[in-house]
Amino acid sequence: MNPAQFTVDSRLDGDTAVIYPKGYLNNLAGESLVAECGRYTGKGIRKIVLNFGGTGLINSIGISLLLQIIEDLRTIEGTVCFSNMSKFQVDTLDMLGLLKHLRIFPAESEALQYLGAGAV
Amino acid sequence: MPFNSIPAIDFLNRESELAYLRRLPEVKSDGLTGNVILTGGRGIGKTELLKQLYLRLFREEGCTPFYYSFRTANLKGNYFARDYFARFVRQYIAFLRKEPSLAENVSEPLQKLMPLVSSLGLEWLLDCMADFQVHLDNNDLYWQVIAAISVPVTAARKGGRPVFVMLDDFDAAENLYESVRGDAHGLTSLFSEAMKNSLCPHVITGSAAALEAIFADQAFIGGVERLRLGALPDDLARQLFRSLLGKLRLSCPAEESLQFLNLLRGNPLYIRNLAAAARKMQKDNLAEKDLVECYSMDVSEGETARYWSSVFSRCTGGAARKKAVVKLLMHSVEGGGMEGERLSKVLGLREAETGAALDELQASGILSDQEPLLQDFIRGLFLREIEGRTAEQVREAIEKKYSRAKPESCFELVIPMDLNAELVAAGAVEQIGKNLGLDSDFLSFLQLALIEVCINAIEHSGSHDRRILLKFISRADDIEITVESAGRPFTLDSLSAVPAEEKLRGGQKRGWGFRLISGIMDNVKVERVGDRTRVILNKNIKHKEVL
Ligand SMILES: Nc1ncnc2c1ncn2[C@@H]1O[C@H](COP(=O)(O)OP(=O)(O)OP(=O)(O)O)[C@@H](O)[C@H]1O
Ligand SMILES: [Mg+2]
Repeated sequence: MNPAQFTVDSRLDGDTAVIYPKGYLNNLAGESLVAECGRYTGKGIRKIVLNFGGTGLINSIGISLLLQIIEDLRTIEGTVCFSNMSKFQVDTLDMLGLLKHLRIFPAESEALQYLGAGAV
Repeated sequence: MPFNSIPAIDFLNRESELAYLRRLPEVKSDGLTGNVILTGGRGIGKTELLKQLYLRLFREEGCTPFYYSFRTANLKGNYFARDYFARFVRQYIAFLRKEPSLAENVSEPLQKLMPLVSSLGLEWLLDCMADFQVHLDNNDLYWQVIAAISVPVTAARKGGRPVFVMLDDFDAAENLYESVRGDAHGLTSLFSEAMKNSLCPHVITGSAAALEAIFADQAFIGGVERLRLGALPDDLARQLFRSLLGKLRLSCPAEESLQFLNLLRGNPLYIRNLAAAARKMQKDNLAEKDLVECYSMDVSEGETARYWSSVFSRCTGGAARKKAVVKLLMHSVEGGGMEGERLSKVLGLREAETGAALDELQASGILSDQEPLLQDFIRGLFLREIEGRTAEQVREAIEKKYSRAKPESCFELVIPMDLNAELVAAGAVEQIGKNLGLDSDFLSFLQLALIEVCINAIEHSGSHDRRILLKFISRADDIEITVESAGRPFTLDSLSAVPAEEKLRGGQKRGWGFRLISGIMDNVKVERVGDRTRVILNKNIKHKEVL
């Protein structure tokens, strides 16, 4: 686990925003992640990849905020993909019965490829 | 009041005593003794036996039952006389009408019952009431007491049916007084006349030592038999505990854990209090370890502690002497063995005071050397009053004494309810897990479960001290994490386990915590300990080691 301070970086890849949450994903961190996504959707971006490669533990409030992001994108007919999740993170989502509601890819490039293929 | 007894079906093991007492009116009319001193340890069931007897007699016609408790009575002579008289009249009429409520309504002035008394054709009772009023008007205490004590005899004579008199905690009658305590010794001997009457069998309860002293008085000589109530046998003690847990909707421990009940020496009061402690601590599926915890709580700060504290406080003769009497008590528990003069010096009491205090302690029943529970209570009292320990420390000391399974290793940690404090807890788990050689994914799950419990405590407890106490116990095949915080009770089910689909559909995104905790851990329990909520997480660690 990486208990370091939470930060969120992002970049634009064509019409897709790639976001890198880093550290412990709790309520505050989750909210800044929601806000970061909001910054892109506010500009008309409807495709987002969340790269969890640098994310440590995700607590239940963090999870609820991820669901918030999915919901926000759904209302504007956008898509969110998750990538680079650790086995532990995937197992956690599985334990909650959430896997079938999420699009998860092993690598960021695969997520981008999926979205580039026109999936919305 | 005699009507608040437990259901007859729950009243165990006293058939022969009941049968014996029920025959007293007959025995007495045959000119035999017919009065019984009923003794037995504290809480053994003397009062309950009287209540059960009362109810049975109340439903029949053979004799009129009358119950009076001196424990709750106001012992100032004129209050006592009025109270005794009024209770008798009410119970008598209630019996004739078979209406318990007539006896229970003690706040209604007696005068209001007069029309009913007269409609029942009880002219003699109206006369008694008028006579009693004259004694009241004359402010004549002696005659008030005599009139009150003798009204059952008059009723038996005039009513044509024996009156069965039950005097509960009669030793307290020694403290009847006129205007200041101690100014009217010997009022108890006034009861001897009523006891001699062949139509009025008496059952009298109290501590054996105190009653023997009273009945050694010339006035009573030869007039009483003795009946001592014993403990419930082990199997019935267990049966009682099981049925009490059942009533509280708690599931019962396995038979071998119930061995622990032997410590209570078949005392129904202790057994009830232990069950109540289990409910209070929200213990279910009790294992022996839980019984030990409930017991320690009950004896240090629960019902049993309150019961004995109140008995004890009646022996101390004021707050100033309390510490000395606690020391005296402890000294006796530890086997005595110091002669009077030196002991008094150590305690800072005069020798006569020490002697008097010992007599009072003896009469109160607190000096019984048969009861391990009492010794635990007394040690606890000593730790608190003399050594200044907190109730919690006392509880832990008792718990330690009975804990068999010593944890292999135990860490404790207090964290503030601050931002990201749960990460500190998670860090501790990580280190402990590494020491145990647990694999890292497995550890991450443990950390997550602990984080969820901590977040829950922070969000829901509303705790004032804003601290969380954590305890990590690792055993050969199991790791146990305890998370305790003060504040409002909360349960983990309040974080409900609604299915994922339903949650998503309903737009309800919070509340995944409980699913995570229960998904990760093998066992999750929530208990209440005093004003704190305690969550206990268990996880089997066999085969989870890094290979
Ligand atoms: N035979 C029994 N079976 C089941 N429960 C009992 C029995 N006897 C007593 N109890 C219960 O045990 C508790 C203690 O009983 P009780 O108050 O009658 O004891 P006691 O001897 O009068 O105590 P004290 O010394 O304080 O006067 C009560 O709650 C009572 O209902
Ligand atoms: Mg009693």
